[in-house]
Amino acid sequence: MSVWSLRSYNPVVKVLAPVPAMIVTALSRDLWTPAVLAVIALAMLLIGGGLRGRTLIAAIAGPPLLVALLTVSFGVWTDPDLVDHTTALLTAGPFTLWSGALETGLATGLRVAAVMLLALIAGLTTDGTDLVRSMIAHLRMPYRIGYAGFAAMRFVPRFRRDLEIIRLAHRVRGVDGGRGPVATLRRYNGYAVPLLAGAMRHGDRVSLAMEARGFGAFATRTERRHVPLRLRDAVLAVWLVAVCLVPHLLSGALG
Amino acid sequence: MPILICMSDVLLRLSGVSVRHEMYDETGAVSHGTPRPRDVTAEVRAGEVVLLLGPSGCGKSTLTLTANGLIPHVVGARMDGTVTVAGVGTTTTTVPALARDVAMVFQDPDAQIVTATVLDEVCFGPENLLVPAPEVLARAEEALRRVGLWERRDDDPEHLSGGGRQRLAIACALALRTPVLVLDEPTANLDPAGVEEVYRILREIAAGRDRAVLLVEHNLDAAIGFVDRVLVLDADGHIAFDGPARAILTGHVDELLALGVWLPVATLAALRLRAAGITLDPLPLTPGELAAALDTTPALPAPRARAAADVAAETAIVVRDLTVHRGRTTVLHSVSLTVAAGEFVAVAGANGAGKTTLAQAIAGVVGARRGTVEVTGRAGFVFQNPEHQFLTNRVEDELAYGLRVLRRPQAEIDARVGALLDRLGLAEVREVHPFLLSGGQKRRLSVGAALVTRPTVLVLDEPTFGQDRERAAELLDLLDGLHADGTTVVVVSHDMHLVAEYATRLLVLAGGRVIADGVPSGVYADSAVLAAAGLQPPPLAQAARALTRHPGWHGVTRLADLPALEPTR
Repeated sequence: MSVWSLRSYNPVVKVLAPVPAMIVTALSRDLWTPAVLAVIALAMLLIGGGLRGRTLIAAIAGPPLLVALLTVSFGVWTDPDLVDHTTALLTAGPFTLWSGALETGLATGLRVAAVMLLALIAGLTTDGTDLVRSMIAHLRMPYRIGYAGFAAMRFVPRFRRDLEIIRLAHRVRGVDGGRGPVATLRRYNGYAVPLLAGAMRHGDRVSLAMEARGFGAFATRTERRHVPLRLRDAVLAVWLVAVCLVPHLLSGALG
Repeated sequence: MPILICMSDVLLRLSGVSVRHEMYDETGAVSHGTPRPRDVTAEVRAGEVVLLLGPSGCGKSTLTLTANGLIPHVVGARMDGTVTVAGVGTTTTTVPALARDVAMVFQDPDAQIVTATVLDEVCFGPENLLVPAPEVLARAEEALRRVGLWERRDDDPEHLSGGGRQRLAIACALALRTPVLVLDEPTANLDPAGVEEVYRILREIAAGRDRAVLLVEHNLDAAIGFVDRVLVLDADGHIAFDGPARAILTGHVDELLALGVWLPVATLAALRLRAAGITLDPLPLTPGELAAALDTTPALPAPRARAAADVAAETAIVVRDLTVHRGRTTVLHSVSLTVAAGEFVAVAGANGAGKTTLAQAIAGVVGARRGTVEVTGRAGFVFQNPEHQFLTNRVEDELAYGLRVLRRPQAEIDARVGALLDRLGLAEVREVHPFLLSGGQKRRLSVGAALVTRPTVLVLDEPTFGQDRERAAELLDLLDGLHADGTTVVVVSHDMHLVAEYATRLLVLAGGRVIADGVPSGVYADSAVLAAAGLQPPPLAQAARALTRHPGWHGVTRLADLPALEPTR
């Protein structure tokens, strides 16, 4: 696959290499750092992500919307005592909109968006199975844990279906219990027994079926698909770590 | 007995095998139950297909788990005796190591899937055994082609039909290339189309004669065609019979009936005819044999006239122009129907045809647009899995719950619950936790919980799913009793034999539309409808329609239609 496709890179590298940039973003207090990193991550996704359809639209429109939402809500909800030294932009009755509040919101929004976009570099371009394969091969994770993870992932949709049916079944029996958090808690408590009984039985069956197919016979398994770790992965890793410095260098260059 | 027995061709040998499951009392102390199976000695040879039969709870499934060491290694149970596979004792090795010699296919296709694609799934077993990668792929391709799933190798197993997933499980077993294949009720969770798919594969595997197959299956009508030998356990878990399938089934038919073993419908029909003075010899085991035997009989009495269904004039259910969307798909397309009070309606169709949605809409489980569904009186609904609807910690509280919701006086609650406990045969377990009941008891309790408020309409979603014939028949007898008392019954079911025996009306759905609606015998005569819905006519109807000499019998679909001395079902 082309060097320009993020899909061709090693999943472990894609998951781990953005972590320094995420930390830098999370610890930053300015607007510039998260903004630059968010733009870089988004550019990488647009160039190498091979995004299409709704995912593409969500990747482009999502972050600005998120930033706007957080800016406005921080602007409204930030404790005025913290920002009343800044400019008052608007006063409506008892409410004053402070520029400092908006700025805090904008910075927070940019930080959240940047971390999210950095995580999506792996998230939108990686197959979960390949990630686990790569973790087994390159991080020396025991394969039993990896495959237990696979099996667990297959449990999730099943539980969702079961829970839906149990909820219907209980409603049909006349369980109401009223509204409010206590009643809801009690209701969910009632779902727990059938859900857990079903889950335990299912888990038992899955593990029997896995052992019956030789799972755990040897210390290793045949890996049919090798997830490669190549020069390009090293380049990507170096780039993603170097990205942490870009906001600083760029602001220096731009004065 | 020749002195020199060829030892090499015995692939699976059980000697004196007894299994006692672990049981826990309230304090958490472990004890062991009564042995099921008990002292079983048997052999399965290369190229042989052995069917394991026996009444519910005799230990059939348990016995299959000893074949690859899951008992005693993994499942909490104590095993006496020895099991050897290709000469190796199962207790001296491990389950994963035995996977080279024994492959298993279990009942629930969903519980056997680990990976995210069909191809990965088939490769999973050989990969565990460190088979080199090129050979893993070669084995996977061969196995997938054999079950007809090679074209779908990149799909998520979740997107296969139930029958497709079970064929995948069979491919996974084949890819291990074991000399022994063990299948535990592989079709119990499938719709009729899925059952047929799986049996087509099993027939081919059996014809290959390249491995030993041990099969547990309650659907004898499908299995009898390719089984060489039967091993019958009695209710105590002892071996009652072990021998060639035909000889045992025809030669010991009365003993088998007494043991509670379900026989092929063709055989049951012949027994009923025998009681009416028509002897078929040899006893037929398949619909084809029954038809052939009847055609050699020069004269047959007319089938019993069906008593006109006792249907009251008033309507119980009216469905008008009901359309249901789920997400972007339309599950039901403007369905309209009227059900009169006292009908016993079966709803059939392939998975995804909209059966459950229609049943839930009728019972008011899911909301339908106002005015589209009207039910006279109260409707009760019984879910497919009884555990999903249990709410309390005691059987009697479970029955009382519905009445407490309606705030009935305590005396009335006690009286109704007491009567219902007796009727359902649950009086002895009235204080037990519902989750600790047996499968059949759970099913009866779930029906009871819906019955306690005396609904005029009782709707059941696949009440016989995953249950053996015995329990299914027990439940249907219960429903038949309710129907006789005037309750309108609507049941979603795949089991054409049970539908044929009990329902007064059959509704066939396909793609969210009603494609047939009428008396079951009429629907079974319409092969286009059956094909469209992926249904097979029940075995007796197949035999009756194949008759050339007795056209008067073509409409026979139920055992109750056969001439008999006494008017019993």
